Amino acid sequence: MRNTYLWLAQLVTGVLIAVLLSIHMVLMHLDAILSFLGVDIKDPTSWHSMIERSRETLWAGLYIALLAIVLYHALNGLRNIILELAPSAATERIITWTIIVFGTIAFVWGTYVPIRLLSG
Amino acid sequence: MDKQVVFKVQRYEPEADGNPHFQEFKIPAKRGMTILDGLIYIKENLDGTLAFRSSCRMAICGSCGMLINNYPHLACHTQIEELRSDIVTVKPLPNLPIVKDLVVDLIPFFNRHKSIKPYIIHPDTKEMENPTAEFVQSPQALEALLQFTYCVKCGICISACPTSASDRLFLGPQALAQCYRYCADTRDGGEEERLTVVDKDHGIWHCHLAGACSEACPKGLDPALAIQLLKRRLIIQAIGLGRKKQPASIVTPPAEVKPKIPFPEFTAKRTE
Amino acid sequence: MTQIQPRRNYLGALGWIWAGNYKLERYLYIFHRITGLGILLFLLLHLVMTTVFRVQGKEVWEATMEVLHNPWFKVGEYLVVVAFLYHALNGLRLIIQELGFALGRPRPPIYPYKDSLRRKRYWTILIISIVVILCVVFFYDFIAGGW
Repeated sequence: MRNTYLWLAQLVTGVLIAVLLSIHMVLMHLDAILSFLGVDIKDPTSWHSMIERSRETLWAGLYIALLAIVLYHALNGLRNIILELAPSAATERIITWTIIVFGTIAFVWGTYVPIRLLSG
Repeated sequence: MDKQVVFKVQRYEPEADGNPHFQEFKIPAKRGMTILDGLIYIKENLDGTLAFRSSCRMAICGSCGMLINNYPHLACHTQIEELRSDIVTVKPLPNLPIVKDLVVDLIPFFNRHKSIKPYIIHPDTKEMENPTAEFVQSPQALEALLQFTYCVKCGICISACPTSASDRLFLGPQALAQCYRYCADTRDGGEEERLTVVDKDHGIWHCHLAGACSEACPKGLDPALAIQLLKRRLIIQAIGLGRKKQPASIVTPPAEVKPKIPFPEFTAKRTE
Repeated sequence: MTQIQPRRNYLGALGWIWAGNYKLERYLYIFHRITGLGILLFLLLHLVMTTVFRVQGKEVWEATMEVLHNPWFKVGEYLVVVAFLYHALNGLRLIIQELGFALGRPRPPIYPYKDSLRRKRYWTILIISIVVILCVVFFYDFIAGGW
């Protein structure tokens, strides 16, 4: 059942990303329309608003969770695409381990920075 | 209606060790003439060395699957007229090895079909070996799998599937759909055996619902639907929601005692 | 006599894109794959941008933002938004249909044949239209000068 669990996780993370990343997209990109609707958000990419957000635990936690989910969804999808190119069994193992190591490094680095900024 | 149609046929001679090349033939197309008729005309009158596989000429045997004007179909099921073009390209089915000209090697395809155990597995082995009566199956239960039994194993879904295009080890839409056909059978008890075959690397989870198999199927089957329903079974089993299926019991022989009421019963009683 | 091996005839990765004259879903599949890979590429750039340049303080961050206000980056960003919208909505359709919902039951094949995906094509068309509408909404916002 290993492959079924892996793909089920792909589906579940897909739904979670659709929800979380929609919030992210609307806040980051739709500021003109949101201010038209009466929700006034400051320029989300300015240093000031960015550092304000990164001091809140809720935002940091949300972004770390999103990072983990997105990395799983993206790297599992990439692995599946590469496996469809029918590599040999040895290459398959190398690809899998490279992707696991890369994902772990990206997650650790992407978690370390917001946690450091939380206090600073 | 008698017009000249150019057949561009892909030729490949394994002994010559060359690359596949196209050869053109001019054919007088009559009304109602199929691609297969055209190929037979070529073999009889123009070039006897052309190799293709065909048998029944009526879309039942599934031998003459070909890539006709870049769409996989049975040559006997496609009329020259319906293509609405004067040039007809005929190529062997992609994603299957070419033996000669238009003949493809279906042995790996059949092996994958065999790997999913395409037969009824019933726990009652004594009854399976020496049957005494039929297994019970309601018409509604038959409807759920009947359309998948019409598969003629022509290999067209394999050539339509994008995953089969690159992944040599992928089971393919045909085998996966047949797996669903046997798992959905109420008489069958071998679901777990089959799901372990299907649920592995290069197994069912490399189907991404491109839908080309269902679109191209010359018999109107729906392998894409069958694969999605099989995925549902796998996921239900993975999260532990499924109830254990009871294999069908055999039909009880009719009692020989006379009914008390002389009026005959037309409706079968359900035994719970 | 030598044994002659059958000639391999796999379409390879090109077969993902085109293997014959198919209708809608086959191309939605390859767009899903392309947008997924594109978003993955963006994700890596985005990770570098929001970590490496962020920890270095205000000046570096604002210099980075200055670069990213370049119109070409905005075009690229809009393409990422389009890719995300398509990947998300088509992905939700795939999740629902891969779980066996919204496909109907197996039916007897009666000519002219119509498979379940074609029978439910109005849902697919609806989802594609929602993607197009949302793309227009986000395009308006990019034109309006918001970031």
